[in-house]
Amino acid sequence: MNSLSLITSCLTLGSTDPHPNVTPSVLYGLGWLYLILFAMNAVWTWKSYHRDCHFRLPEFLGGMGMPNAAVWAMYSIALLLVSVTHLTCASVPEALRWFVMPDFAKSAIDFVVADARRYFAVTTFGFIGMLLLRNWLAKPSVGWVLLNLSLLFLCVSLTDWDFRQIVGKPDNVPIVAMLFIVGFFTWLFFYRANENDRRSALGKGPIEAENNEKVLTWPDLVYTEMICMIAVTALLILWGIALQAPLEEPASAVKTPNPSKAPWYFLGLQEMLVYYDPWLAGVVFPSVILGGMMAIPYIDFNKLGNGYYTFNERKFAITTFMFGFLPLWVGMIILGTFLRGPNWNVFGIYEFWDVHKLEALNNVNLSEYFWYGIGQPLPMAPAGADFWTQAPYILLRELVGFVAIGVYLGVLPMVMAMTVFKKFFLRMGFLRFMVFSNLVLMMAALPLKMVLRWAVNLKYFIAIPEWFFNV
Amino acid sequence: MSVGDYIRDSQIWKSVFRHPAPYDRRNRVVVMLTNFFLHLHPVSIKQQGIALSYTWCMGGITFFLFLVETITGVLLMFYYRPTLEWAFNDILALRDVTTLGIMREIHRWGAHAMVITVWLHMYRVFLTGSYKPPREFNWVVGVILLKLTLLLSFTGYLLPWDQLAIWAITVGSNMARATPVLGHEGPGFQFLNLGGYDLITNASDARFLLLGSRFVGEETLNRFYILHCVAIPLAAAGLIAIHFWRVRKDGGISQPL
Amino acid sequence: MAATSLIWLLDLARFMFPNVLVEPPTKFKIGPASDYPLGGVSTKWLAARGVWIVHTDQYKGRNLIYALASVCTHLGCTPNWLEGEQKYKCPCHGSGFYINGVNFEGPAPRPLERLGIKLASDGQLEVDKSVKFQEEMGQWEDSNSFVDGALA
Repeated sequence: MNSLSLITSCLTLGSTDPHPNVTPSVLYGLGWLYLILFAMNAVWTWKSYHRDCHFRLPEFLGGMGMPNAAVWAMYSIALLLVSVTHLTCASVPEALRWFVMPDFAKSAIDFVVADARRYFAVTTFGFIGMLLLRNWLAKPSVGWVLLNLSLLFLCVSLTDWDFRQIVGKPDNVPIVAMLFIVGFFTWLFFYRANENDRRSALGKGPIEAENNEKVLTWPDLVYTEMICMIAVTALLILWGIALQAPLEEPASAVKTPNPSKAPWYFLGLQEMLVYYDPWLAGVVFPSVILGGMMAIPYIDFNKLGNGYYTFNERKFAITTFMFGFLPLWVGMIILGTFLRGPNWNVFGIYEFWDVHKLEALNNVNLSEYFWYGIGQPLPMAPAGADFWTQAPYILLRELVGFVAIGVYLGVLPMVMAMTVFKKFFLRMGFLRFMVFSNLVLMMAALPLKMVLRWAVNLKYFIAIPEWFFNV
Repeated sequence: MSVGDYIRDSQIWKSVFRHPAPYDRRNRVVVMLTNFFLHLHPVSIKQQGIALSYTWCMGGITFFLFLVETITGVLLMFYYRPTLEWAFNDILALRDVTTLGIMREIHRWGAHAMVITVWLHMYRVFLTGSYKPPREFNWVVGVILLKLTLLLSFTGYLLPWDQLAIWAITVGSNMARATPVLGHEGPGFQFLNLGGYDLITNASDARFLLLGSRFVGEETLNRFYILHCVAIPLAAAGLIAIHFWRVRKDGGISQPL
Repeated sequence: MAATSLIWLLDLARFMFPNVLVEPPTKFKIGPASDYPLGGVSTKWLAARGVWIVHTDQYKGRNLIYALASVCTHLGCTPNWLEGEQKYKCPCHGSGFYINGVNFEGPAPRPLERLGIKLASDGQLEVDKSVKFQEEMGQWEDSNSFVDGALA
């Protein structure tokens, strides 16, 4: 290890590139990552051998029956070879050029993610695809393949300097971990929900109702808790030793770092601030999110799915909640953490954070669209007018915006009550339905404004900077 | 008689643990009833209700992390002074000088982990429909606890008094300027007006209440310190007690009806 | 009972508002106008006082010197003056302002704020941070919000 770090420092000193993509220490570290991946897959191979069925080789290969585990075994051996190559040849980066993310793939991925529009489209369609393909995705082997693909993607991407900068920041490491954890639990949910949905189709009760005898808390629960506590403590200590908590320069009230980010769990809100003014994105929407979450039990009239996993019995509730949690909350955190760079521009994950990257951001208000559209100037009060003289002019100027918001929050719920949500309306009653529909519409207001911003550069529906009232 | 037996037979031991060790069924029941820490639990519990693939153990881990944060937090307070002069230097000393300064790392990473586990706990409770009657109110308490967890983390973010801290809090607290009616740059602040004088200015609005000052300065550091170390933890501890109590009173861990 | 609780609550809220603040003085001198040539944005007072001294003829064609508060009107970050692109650019959410302080890109809803400025009796310019002038309210016409650029 010592000689290796010596080689590393020599190479770093000797190289002219200040941002080297591959260094011996990176390759050496990757070797260990591949070794872990090998170990995981070796265990999986063993389980597959005992559990999975066989497949038949094509005729030209002999047409024999083979256990599925054979494929996993070959894959594991390949990983072992890759790992050993990394660990032994780390000082000769040229030998490992096949395990580096190719440039064309980098530019292709950057092309997709380095643009809020495409990023949002990918997460939204990914979400819809996940719901449609849930039966296939929730198979253990598919889940395992997905886990392997994402880990391989991480390993290969780590050979990029810019990627390492953004992912390796100590405060960002938990977010990377969170992605895998949230992904795992979402997979686990679908796995269990599908099983219950299949049972329900056969007229059987949920799996949670079977073998559900009472057991003594000591030892069954108390020991589980103790093991969890020990595991969490060990994890925290290891994490604390491996990664030092960040401490930047002493606070300075005049030097704003570029970019300047809120704590990571609020980056969803900070992302909202790009589209809505602080009074909405910073005050009203967070309150609505909290109030709306508290209102969930009083809105959801569906008695099914209480105390067990299911998707089919609660399609609407779970789809709505997951859409809020996955693409809108976690997705926006990823966007804010990994993709927002200097000047709050969007950068690809392999892109250098260039402070001088330019992005045109010229936006137009709805009132301007309207008045210029009908060939009129904006209504304006005579200069020096007092508040009460100005007010009618301002309201007239923004009339179309007020009408739009009024229709959206006032009329649309009634239309919904008469059409798509007719059943909901009948079961909920007026007050409950109005609360429900307004919450849904407010949740939809964020993606709606994002799309309008991107499609027609819309800045505000209602723009009254004079009263700090911009919507 | 072995030493262990001697100790277990002594008056001191028996005064603390009022029954024999939980080796047999009877004592496994009694231990749950007579031990203060264990009496949070029922004596017996549904087998599927404690399956890890069902509960994900996220609520329990969140509570454990709350305890870890309390203990490491109290330890950190011994070496930290919330003043402009010392805050940053004290953190620096914790990193470079203090033996086992790793407490700060555990505190910070534990806070990150707690935010994640509390989200996942909420995710699980939603996905199993466990907020449905009769557990509606406990879901509401849980949402407030989620908010308190975020606030705890947010107030703690300022304490190291480095660039990361001051700007995250500046950006975050500036939103309070825009509070409708109560913020000096929010819509409708003009309505609170007395004889031509605005009642809501940058020295009397919601943000000023939060910061105790017109910008993020020493008063803010002090306020956030108190919120972080005393006010919010107390509120959270009270609500956690209610949350646990209601889990029991609302029918135990959720199961198919 | 309810009234008493309310009074206690309001008293508690009032208690949380301090009566005395320890903050630096709001008026300060920035030297003679000749220090600020036409077309320049001076960042000399940015670190200590949070103001840019701007001398420009790009606002309604008048040759003016004025002090802009270095506080983004979106969320109060400090924008950076980019000499090459001739704009103030906020690192928090990408708001951009022309040299004269008027917003043109990003989420900022209104122009930067001017601060009070006047020619003191000793020939130096004096900035007063306790007053502010907002463009969208028509306050930039106020003669306390600028000094004549011909002085430079």
